[in-house]
Amino acid sequence: MKTRVHIIDNTTGQAVEAEIFDEVTVEHFIETQQEWRPIVLKAARQLAARGSHQLIPQHFHWDWTTKAPELKVLANAFYGIRYDNQLQGLMKIETVGQFCSCRLPEQVDKALVYVDYIEVAPWNLKVLMNALGEKPRYNVIGSRLIEAAVLKSKEEDCKGRIGLHSLPMTESFYIKTCRMTPVGRDPAKQNLLWLEYTPEQAENFLTGAR
Amino acid sequence: MKFNSDPAWLKKQASLEDNCFVSVGGLVSAVEDLEQQTQQATASRTAFVKLLNLTRREHKLTWEQFSQKLDVDLAELMEIENDESYKPTPRTVTKIAHFLHVPAEKLFILSGLARVHDRYFKEAALRFAARSQPVKELSSEEHEALKEYVKFLCER
Repeated sequence: MKTRVHIIDNTTGQAVEAEIFDEVTVEHFIETQQEWRPIVLKAARQLAARGSHQLIPQHFHWDWTTKAPELKVLANAFYGIRYDNQLQGLMKIETVGQFCSCRLPEQVDKALVYVDYIEVAPWNLKVLMNALGEKPRYNVIGSRLIEAAVLKSKEEDCKGRIGLHSLPMTESFYIKTCRMTPVGRDPAKQNLLWLEYTPEQAENFLTGAR
Repeated sequence: MKFNSDPAWLKKQASLEDNCFVSVGGLVSAVEDLEQQTQQATASRTAFVKLLNLTRREHKLTWEQFSQKLDVDLAELMEIENDESYKPTPRTVTKIAHFLHVPAEKLFILSGLARVHDRYFKEAALRFAARSQPVKELSSEEHEALKEYVKFLCER
């Protein structure tokens, strides 16, 4: 699957046409390691030097290349967004597995698509770019990835239900921007906050209804 | 998959998202874990270089001939051989994998381009790197070259 989607170029404020795709390969993981990680670490060091420890990204250590064996697992799907010949964001979802069941009382035990990993390129993150004295380049990457997860959920007959464990510093994005329901802390996953979409919430996100 | 193409939706999402953090995944592990990963990567890297070296010798090829066979730039091969921190390109590693008839993904790991949480893979790489350390004495040609180079270094 390869589809054109619009994202926002911050330098002009205009929409530009990016490509979202699911044929993610190990080369894309290597690209994140070579192109993203040095910038994340550089920004993290800057933030640490300034004493802004609370702003250091909680994903600075991630290494997508360790996910390479999971590319072959049929229950997994990976999505990437490419623009300007660079990977702008990457996501891994699971359609089968221990976290693929709903926990919200109104839809408990129903199947959902689990968002296992999402990362946006560091040059698109305001805190990191500010730390490096630059401005973030492209916007709406995270929303586009969540949109892909919801659409996949619909394809899988999960009616848009998705679930994920948010890192503490990204909780507001999932609660306020995506309007997912925070269900509770999960001791099985580092006590991270578990959030879920009902079909109605997912549809509202897709259409922009509030 | 039909993505939303409404400009109003895009504009609203842009304003809400505002280039904030959106990461989903595990929390930071200990910094010590990162350091341990680096050490393991070094062992794999040594095994990768040994593998290249032994393959070249097995086929009785000079580095120039080897680079031609692989269709890889000679300078890059020399970088791989001599610079521990040098990361070969995925394209080069794919070509080497093709020549060796091994899965490219395995060589990505061995070359340090990718990581794996597989204890047996890491241990095998370490054993190979240790076992393939040359114990053969230097040939007279190698001996002469070394002597000459040491002399050159002493004179500089």
